[in-house]
Amino acid sequence: MAIAMRVGRSLLLMLFAAAGTILLVRFAPGFFSDSREMDARYAQAARAEMEAESDQQQSANQIATQEVKSWLNGGFGQSRQYNVPVAELIGARVRVSALLLAQGILRGWLLAVCAALPISGLRRGGFLWSLPFTLLLAIPASAMATACILANAGGPVLVLSLLIAAREFKFLRSLLEGAWRSPHLLQGRARGLAPMVLVRAHIVPNIAPQLCALATLSIVTALGALVPIEVIFTVPGVGQLAWSAVMNRDLPVLVAVSLLMASVVGFAGMLSARDVTLEEA
Amino acid sequence: MKKRIPAVFLLLVILAGGLVLRVSRYGYAFQDRGAIMAPSTAEHWTGTDELGRDRTVRVAAALFIGLMGAAAAAAITTAIAACFGLLAAFSPSSVAALLMFLSDGFLSLPWLFLLMMARSLLPLTASPLETAVTTFLVLAALGWPACAHAIYRGARSLRSAEWMIQGRACGLKSRQLIRLHIVPHLRPLLLPQFLVCVPAFLVAEANLGALGLGVGEPMPSWGAMLLELDNSALLARSHWVYLPIALLALLLLILESFAEVETHA
Repeated sequence: MAIAMRVGRSLLLMLFAAAGTILLVRFAPGFFSDSREMDARYAQAARAEMEAESDQQQSANQIATQEVKSWLNGGFGQSRQYNVPVAELIGARVRVSALLLAQGILRGWLLAVCAALPISGLRRGGFLWSLPFTLLLAIPASAMATACILANAGGPVLVLSLLIAAREFKFLRSLLEGAWRSPHLLQGRARGLAPMVLVRAHIVPNIAPQLCALATLSIVTALGALVPIEVIFTVPGVGQLAWSAVMNRDLPVLVAVSLLMASVVGFAGMLSARDVTLEEA
Repeated sequence: MKKRIPAVFLLLVILAGGLVLRVSRYGYAFQDRGAIMAPSTAEHWTGTDELGRDRTVRVAAALFIGLMGAAAAAAITTAIAACFGLLAAFSPSSVAALLMFLSDGFLSLPWLFLLMMARSLLPLTASPLETAVTTFLVLAALGWPACAHAIYRGARSLRSAEWMIQGRACGLKSRQLIRLHIVPHLRPLLLPQFLVCVPAFLVAEANLGALGLGVGEPMPSWGAMLLELDNSALLARSHWVYLPIALLALLLLILESFAEVETHA
């Protein structure tokens, strides 16, 4: 029953994302603008054709019907900008982005856990030890990526890892601080149990649900950071494709990418123990 | 005391920005064609950009535009979140579940991506002021779900408080209860939410601007300033190009400490 609820919730989330994207696209003030109209390379006849093409997609209903038809065909429609099936465009880039996300999230978590575990146990000086993470939180992803390029050091994985580490460190530290202060931990410490035993046997099982919810949030954070990182480092991933679609108002690609993002988040939410809500994490 | 330190720093930064705008002879859009990509001089304290615009003035203007825009967006988002949270807390449980599902859906989606999409769908001919207003309005429209959850939980706990039951028994209407009792009790929750949103919105604007989707030129913004770092000719001439990024990091640090202190107060 619980699994069915989670699956249902994820499917609803995807449906919500698709409907939201279509409505946003349709009712946006720039819906009738097409950047190709300003491209001098297009001949008058081609422009007229494009105008007729956009005239066919006037209502949100029509857009939704077209989108559903193209999903059923498995093609996600045709990209305006590249004139190839959207599925083909995304398929080639998913692997690149997935690899970047996996590496960034894993390394970020490793860094955050390694730093938060000892710092959360400190009685004094925790503020000073946390300062690097506080500083990292104050630097936007795009600025960090640009700084890496200028310094000719690091790459997209490093920037993503640092971003994830900075964000998760804050939550992990407060979670662990609460856990260290709990009475059974105090008793364990008083009885002389080794810190690693305490962590393995008491802390991790206690905070596991919150950790799972945090992991879901990490995916959301990483997906958001993916766009500036891929654009600045010119990584040919989904984030760069999304940016390019946005700049060129490539609506079929935009709808497909937003669906993909919602599916990833929905799937991650389904896997994590959702006894704890995202907000509680 | 802890509260005062970030507040004093913030005030100092704002005063410095105001002073620069007051004493400077140049506007943020003024182009000094005789001093393109100039290094630090008596006329242009921190040099100029590739169009000859005074960097000090532009950074000071970006500080004010960013802070005002982010503060306004944070106020709107907190108001939306308060309305949404209160509505959910005082509705039947099925309606509350539906509203919270909607909010959870928004919360689960990648924020910057949504922002980028919403911002890109503006008409191609939008003016700089329109782009600035839209950017911050979009931020306000998309930033409320996290706050709404916190407010919902706060309002739910207040709903069953004894003084609320007494108020209801005395015949106070829901509107009166919200105005006289709930909102004053939620104020300590609303202020931290507002303070947390301000730096988050500044970061989002900077990221959007760095992608070319933020506030339109010639209006200065943190994002547009970060784009200067792509110009290798500028970087070779002056280290003052790094001023915006350093100042933005400092500002975010101050705002985050401010929010942190207020949250734990």
